[in-house]
Amino acid sequence: MSTRITIEHLARVEGHGGATVELADGAVEAVRFDVFEGARLLEGLVRGRRYDEVAPITSRICAICSAAHTLASLTATERAFGIEPDRRIVRVRDLLLRGESIESHALHVFLLALPDYLNVPSALALAESHRDAVQLALRLKRLGNLIQETVAGRAVHPVTTVVGGFSRFPTEEALLTLRTALLAAQGDAETALELVARLPHVDVGQSPSAYAALRANGAYGYAGGQEIGIVSDGRTVAVPVSAYRSITREHTVPHSHAKHSHWNGTPFMVGALARLAVNGDLLPPAGARAMAHVGLARPFVDPLDNNRAQAVELLVDVQQALTMVEEELAAPRDAPAAAPVRVRGGSGTGAVEAPRGLLVHSYRYNEDGRLQSADVITPTAMNAASIEQRLRCAVELSPHDDPDTLRRRLEMVVRAYDPCISCAVHVLDVRRAP
Amino acid sequence: MTTAATNGRPTVGLFGLTGCAGDQLVVLNCEDQLLELARLLDLRDFTMAASDPDEEVPLDLAFVEGAVLSRRDEYVLRRVRERAKCLIAIGTCAVWGGVAALDRLFDRAALVRDIYGDAGAAFDTLPARALHDVVPVDYTITGCPIEADEFLAAVSQLLQGYPPAVRDTPVCAECRMNEVGCLLLDRGLPCCGAVTLGGCHARCPALGALCIGCRGPAPDANVEGTLAAFVAHGIPIEEGRRRLAVFAPLSEAVPAEVA
Repeated sequence: MSTRITIEHLARVEGHGGATVELADGAVEAVRFDVFEGARLLEGLVRGRRYDEVAPITSRICAICSAAHTLASLTATERAFGIEPDRRIVRVRDLLLRGESIESHALHVFLLALPDYLNVPSALALAESHRDAVQLALRLKRLGNLIQETVAGRAVHPVTTVVGGFSRFPTEEALLTLRTALLAAQGDAETALELVARLPHVDVGQSPSAYAALRANGAYGYAGGQEIGIVSDGRTVAVPVSAYRSITREHTVPHSHAKHSHWNGTPFMVGALARLAVNGDLLPPAGARAMAHVGLARPFVDPLDNNRAQAVELLVDVQQALTMVEEELAAPRDAPAAAPVRVRGGSGTGAVEAPRGLLVHSYRYNEDGRLQSADVITPTAMNAASIEQRLRCAVELSPHDDPDTLRRRLEMVVRAYDPCISCAVHVLDVRRAP
Repeated sequence: MTTAATNGRPTVGLFGLTGCAGDQLVVLNCEDQLLELARLLDLRDFTMAASDPDEEVPLDLAFVEGAVLSRRDEYVLRRVRERAKCLIAIGTCAVWGGVAALDRLFDRAALVRDIYGDAGAAFDTLPARALHDVVPVDYTITGCPIEADEFLAAVSQLLQGYPPAVRDTPVCAECRMNEVGCLLLDRGLPCCGAVTLGGCHARCPALGALCIGCRGPAPDANVEGTLAAFVAHGIPIEEGRRRLAVFAPLSEAVPAEVA
């Protein structure tokens, strides 16, 4: 008997996607993670633009990752032009990414994923039954947005971030306000971790996986690294950011024409869990304790652990954001000037960690500083092969379960990857609507 | 708009066509008002935030973001239009086409081939269109992304049975109120504020960044005059034209000899 389990429009994710699993006599025949988002062709539409226009346009690929897209873009342009921004600029950019991550993780863990664990359809229903948890999530989300507003002038699509630095560096007054908010939020981050530690365990199948993340530079963080670390079978390999293509677009797979990413022939996962796999040794002591508290131990084999990993990062980010703000307040009053821009022809690749994983922008400029070509590889595109592998596991765990039970498992797996489907179309093939 | 028909709480849907989901995110970013909004509005269909949407219920208010870029988008939009008493386009993509509508300046089929290879031929992909190119739209809230205060004000006005207030002043006017020096006239930079609809409190120039026109044109925008000012400050006409074309088709209709 053959069965098809379809999730036509996956709710509680950003963008339009679905999943399809085909079963014949309890054996999984085909698995697909479907993306229905229309193709906007932005990598093509930025061609011919002057260097200063590129980040504001590519930011529009995705709102919830707009700070990460902006910084990957600026880094690619700066590397093409040979620009090294000031260390304080790099630190405040990292602070911006912490803000984005806090906002995105609070939204994802508590308002999008948590309803699954508690068997309710949405955070609106949750607001009735678990009002404290929803208010906690909204406070943390607000904090993440305050960081982004303070640093970048706006929570969605940053304004002040320019090639070389900032058009306006955050003022001391704004940083003091942010410091007060961060001090008040430390307890919330602990409570959030506690909530996640108490979540029931849901079995969606386990399988070993490879993990890839930007190798952090000395301290746990989301920007500035020069290498991509890949953890597979207990071994770590490092690939220079400029060689990102060795892990992306490697394989085409017969069951779908999506350009899936593979490492040594196996899918890999990017995101919070991958960052803990690759950069776990750089976590502050509180981060290591938080991992143990939510029950995360290497090797990671459960895709739902990504939700727990996000709660660990929420705590680490709220703590480290405070440290960054205090270091900045202790720095000299005069704002670091944006590095001067001298355009030249050439190529550059920038990678940062978006909340949902590794993000790469790679550009080629002509000698007038006009963009000739752009390549954007997004985390959800990199995760697509891994999502399909885990969907298969989730069915094989108990293939004769009734379709609703199977569907719930499949939804939880896809949602755990925190997919951002506006992003995903930038490499993935877009499938025809059902 | 009749709100009283449904026990005082209008039925509401929030929809995203193709875009970055930034306008729905701005709604979700109204952290301090979100629970109040959920109390005042009968939110029935909001797939980004909730499972089990009610896809049949007639809607008093339908907010739609994103541009139409596929047959699927077109189908969804027509379906929403049939269900909705009042359809509000939110965000520059929905109102003007947004960045995706830059495809009008390219050979689109060639771009699809270039980016997606041979597989691209099978895509459900259409040239970008604003909502009003496909169905009648009742109101618009522009911005890339929308401003939270404008969205909340519009919801409040609709709840009271009024149409959302219409704004007609450009970013330039708000810049003057901020007492910020002019990036174009004082510094010779290609700022789009003179022709771009305000409502953003001229955020970008106030932070030392150029207005890039993300809210689309102000009514009676003087595009020719702005291009002439660009040229007078050493910005080549083609460069000015390109800059005014990013979020909405503003500059293409202006004749070449304007400057």
